[in-house]
Amino acid sequence: MNSIWIAIALGCYAISSGCFFFARERDRSRLAGWGAAMLAIGALANAIDLIARGFQAGNLPVATFGDSLPFLAILVAIIGLILIVRRGLPAIGIFVALVATVASAAACVFGTRGRLVLPATLRSGWLPVHVTLAFLGYALFLLAAGVSVLYLTYEARLKAKRPLPAPGERVPSLEALDRINYHLLGWGFVMLSLAIVSGAIWADATWGRFWSWEPQESWSLVTWILYAALLESRLTVGWRGRRAAALTIAVFTVLAGSFLGLSLMHPGHHAGNFD
Amino acid sequence: MDHRLVILGVNHRTAPVKVRERLAYAEDEIIAALGRLKIAAPAMLEAALISTCNRVEIIGVATDVQAASETALRFLADDRGVAADFRSAVYRFEGRDAARHLFRVGASLDSMVVGEPQIFGQLKLAYAQAVEAGAAGLILHRAFHRAFSVAKRVRRATLIGHGAVSVGSVAVALATQIFDTLADKTIMLMGAGQLAELVARQLKRRGVETLLVTSRTFDRAVGIARELGGTAVPFDNYRPYMKIADVVIGSMSVERPILTAADFEPILRERHYRPMFLIDLGVPRNFDERLNSFENVYLYDIDDLGQVAQQTRTSREREAEKAEAIVSEELDAFDRWLGELGLVPAIKEIRLSIEQLRDYELSRHRGWLAGLAPGEQVRVEALTRGLVNKLLHRVLAGLRSNGKMVGDGLYTAELARRLLCGNPELDADSDQDDDASDDSI
Repeated sequence: MNSIWIAIALGCYAISSGCFFFARERDRSRLAGWGAAMLAIGALANAIDLIARGFQAGNLPVATFGDSLPFLAILVAIIGLILIVRRGLPAIGIFVALVATVASAAACVFGTRGRLVLPATLRSGWLPVHVTLAFLGYALFLLAAGVSVLYLTYEARLKAKRPLPAPGERVPSLEALDRINYHLLGWGFVMLSLAIVSGAIWADATWGRFWSWEPQESWSLVTWILYAALLESRLTVGWRGRRAAALTIAVFTVLAGSFLGLSLMHPGHHAGNFD
Repeated sequence: MDHRLVILGVNHRTAPVKVRERLAYAEDEIIAALGRLKIAAPAMLEAALISTCNRVEIIGVATDVQAASETALRFLADDRGVAADFRSAVYRFEGRDAARHLFRVGASLDSMVVGEPQIFGQLKLAYAQAVEAGAAGLILHRAFHRAFSVAKRVRRATLIGHGAVSVGSVAVALATQIFDTLADKTIMLMGAGQLAELVARQLKRRGVETLLVTSRTFDRAVGIARELGGTAVPFDNYRPYMKIADVVIGSMSVERPILTAADFEPILRERHYRPMFLIDLGVPRNFDERLNSFENVYLYDIDDLGQVAQQTRTSREREAEKAEAIVSEELDAFDRWLGELGLVPAIKEIRLSIEQLRDYELSRHRGWLAGLAPGEQVRVEALTRGLVNKLLHRVLAGLRSNGKMVGDGLYTAELARRLLCGNPELDADSDQDDDASDDSI
């Protein structure tokens, strides 16, 4: 694997993290602007890497866990940029940039060296659909968890009557954070649902059955139910604000734990074993 | 004689309000007052007058500072008809100190609430009035413009104007940290303290549309509601309205809290736990302090708000230190300009004198110059001009750098003027002397 582009992306993401870190200290909106710009440049390098490897593989280059990480990084970076620029939420920048940095660093370590060859079963039009939907869902849930961390931080300050940590710091309102969290969860849920459906259709086309109770399938179902309950609780009993934020983080740890655990340890279609 | 900036005045630190209010001028009196000052204190060569709630100052320029100050203060006492005892509260700044004071005032470093923004506009007005009265001259123009640019630089480079410093603005700032927009929110005002009304008014100004007012006496609630643009709610039936209230301001005189934890739980459930901001301005407190531990409920009492305001003031003071450094830098630049200002007449005179010398010498040799080819005439012209310019450059550069070193630039300038200026006709004698001495050799 030619790792130059992902290395450039890693560098940009790391610089972006630094910018956002120092932008936090003070009202240095210019520094936050640089952070966003570096994030965008990183995403560009990340995209070039994906395209180059995609041409090699003749499909979305996500055969193994290590190879799929750049894809996750770019989705987080792009959605993060939308939050930073469109939703006026530079405070999430540090989280987005750090996640992108860690993901692309891990890709540099775990990624396949040499030529990417996808197994025959994966050379399907369903691969990009299923994987894109699933990863979009993961990225949205990840950012929802990040926004929830922000929410809990600011909420704790307000409760403790220490609402003004630094003069001129632009703090998003709790209401706005709660709403963004809700939107991210909603879209994430839609993506996860579609990913499960598309995966089932693909499985049926390849192996002749929709569902085989493979660990990844089971865990997806578990997280799907958890997220459904989370959204339901907001709409019916009004679990919003602090409780919603805490639950978003809790459910995401289940999702992240299952994704990492299964990818790294458990053999199966999703972990790059296709025999 | 050296022109010096001088400032005479009283401010919130040196004089109580009962002194300041007697000295204060209304906005439309100032231009006329400057006219009278010019007549009463002719030693004050330039003058501006600033009068705000916190200060009354004459900002002037004088060569004889003592006489100018004396007459200006006498004028102020006569003009305002106050006894001379206010003089003990008067401060006087001269030269660099005066410029520093002016810059600090403009940058809101001398304000009662450091960083408050009004003073900048007030200073601009004072300057505009001095200009209109024809009382501002070269030095005041420069001093004021420098003060404005210092103020802008301080605003840009520090966070001196940031944060909420009053209880009312803290309440509004907190509301905007909890709620994204205030437009679709409802305020419930309970009771009618002055502060509570102020907070409600500020929140309304920030876009809140619905205001409910309740009070023990319904008529009073109706009166306040009419004044603030809200709806009165009878006190014995306010509870049903609590479920739509996002901000509740408590300002009733009570012995025990009117809202207790037990009352509150059902209200929250009905609200689907949407966030609530409780502002308790009552003493004794109106809301049970345990309400703050409910989810999505934020309770601030009067002390909490005061503490937040204090935090802002402290951080503004930290920012003020940075601002002082900016003021010092700008002071140096202003001093340099003022120093060179003294040199300007001398430099002009020296330049003129040396130019004259060149013309005189050229005219003396007109005869043989006329015999030269046109190209050569131009070269002689260029040669003499080059010589003069190089000489002048050395003298002027020397004046500028040495003026600083010696301390009194004007003394150096005078010395240089005496050495270099003279009448070329008289110099002609020295030519003859030179010729004579040549002969004797």
